[in-house]
Amino acid sequence: MKNVILEIKGLTKYYGKILGVEDLSLSLNEGEVFGFIGPNGAGKSTTIRSIMHLINKTAGIVLVNGKEFNRNDTSIKEMIGYLPSEVNLYEDLTVKQMLDYHESFYNKDIHKRRCELVERLKLDETKKVEDLSLGNSKKLGIVLAFMHEPKLLILDEPTSGLDPIMQQEFYKLLVEEKKKGTTIFYSTHILSEISKICDRVGIIKNGKLLKVEKIGELLKKNLDLVTIESKEVAAILSELKVETIEKEKNTVKFKNVLPANELIKVISKYDIDDILIEEASLEDIFLHYYE
Amino acid sequence: MFKREMKINLKGFLIWTTILVGLFFLILVIYPNVIAGESAEMMDEMLKMFPEDLLKAFNMDISSINTAFGWLKSEGFVMILLIIGCYAGVLGSNILLKEESDKTIEYLNSLPVSRTKIVTSKVFAGLIYIVLMVVLLGIFNFIGLSITEEFDEKLLILLSITPLLPAVVIYFMCMFLSTFTHKTKKTLGISLGIVMLSYVLQVLSTMGEKLEFLKYTSAFTLADIRNVMTEACINPVMIVVTVTISLILFIVTLFRYDRKELV
Repeated sequence: MKNVILEIKGLTKYYGKILGVEDLSLSLNEGEVFGFIGPNGAGKSTTIRSIMHLINKTAGIVLVNGKEFNRNDTSIKEMIGYLPSEVNLYEDLTVKQMLDYHESFYNKDIHKRRCELVERLKLDETKKVEDLSLGNSKKLGIVLAFMHEPKLLILDEPTSGLDPIMQQEFYKLLVEEKKKGTTIFYSTHILSEISKICDRVGIIKNGKLLKVEKIGELLKKNLDLVTIESKEVAAILSELKVETIEKEKNTVKFKNVLPANELIKVISKYDIDDILIEEASLEDIFLHYYE
Repeated sequence: MFKREMKINLKGFLIWTTILVGLFFLILVIYPNVIAGESAEMMDEMLKMFPEDLLKAFNMDISSINTAFGWLKSEGFVMILLIIGCYAGVLGSNILLKEESDKTIEYLNSLPVSRTKIVTSKVFAGLIYIVLMVVLLGIFNFIGLSITEEFDEKLLILLSITPLLPAVVIYFMCMFLSTFTHKTKKTLGISLGIVMLSYVLQVLSTMGEKLEFLKYTSAFTLADIRNVMTEACINPVMIVVTVTISLILFIVTLFRYDRKELV
């Protein structure tokens, strides 16, 4: 059985009377890439900021590697690499000075890894931080989060601002980290990223965690989209008791939640002109939870 | 981290010190000409017409301004108290808050460093600059006066040290207040307001027995220039009070910062 690296128990955060996150619990195993998805304002950043102690939790605890993560626990902080959605660094420094400063906080030699990452992400160390473009700031943020070889990576919208080539390089980097056993908490609203790299996904809406599911299961288990053309559409729908997506005269499109053989048993009783069964995309699944 | 704090606060220190030293350079150059001949006597005569309480507020009742050192003992040190007080206030309100205002706190907080260490590194860097400003100005005045006239060297050294006491208290007070907000813009005005209010309260406290209690509300009472001039020593009580208040403010700052929401 794999080690649990990050465990969140009953995390609740209220901003005064306004709900940020409520009773959120989840755990991440060693070497797992966990996608955390939700639209703007769903509570993704509140969750991450609570984990990182940037804001105070109203309730709940966070354990890292089985130990409660207190805000001044530097040994746990050493195990974490954090990339915020907006990278704000010291503008008076050059990239080299920024990386040197970062190195000075770790009691191990991380220079070699730093050089590898700088070369791989094509970062110019002579540039001043204030002169960096959004994409280059993000690249510097990635190097800072990865260079001390953390056991747990917490990434908030990590690819925003990166060009497509650099995004591909970043995905490769994540795969390598995963192979090394690094646990990755990956917050995003870009669904294509989730299906590419994540093992499991957590869907958050209005501060509540709606579902945690393996990505493969999520794609195949619940949702197939079925389109049927028949004069007996009304009777079919009545028997299936499914949620209709589109309906036009004798054609209906609905979300099927029945096992395939049960669906076929039902529709075989009717006169069907045409049928199309397709696997729902991640976007469809995502919208299904948000409707 | 401490080295970085020293580096980022160097520019502000140099600007404030240059202004202060430049001002006193001008005064030391111009003042001997101002008081040459009959003008010094005329000034003394003119001052006799001023209300006693006002003269007392600027220590002019126990010091003559017919020498540069005399001017320094009265108006000069009031100016030093105010300028170093303002510097300490601005520094205190900015030193912790800058990371939040610039949003770099999200990065700093992710590093393997405790909040206590963050506060301590910043506090000591700021304190060093305040001490350095007091020392540099003291050395400058000492050299300047040595060139132009004879003066009581021990008294000048003691007087040069005294601005440190209110400045340190103001520094910690403004730092503590900064833990209640996230933006430096909000605290700058409050810091300067505290310095000015503190000075006004100190001046009022010298104007009659009824207002004497106000001295307990002003950080500038800790400078106690009048006592230094008459007794030729710094009252140890003032040092004890300064250290005690500063320590209390430092501890409550640590306490508040440890629990503060940083974004």
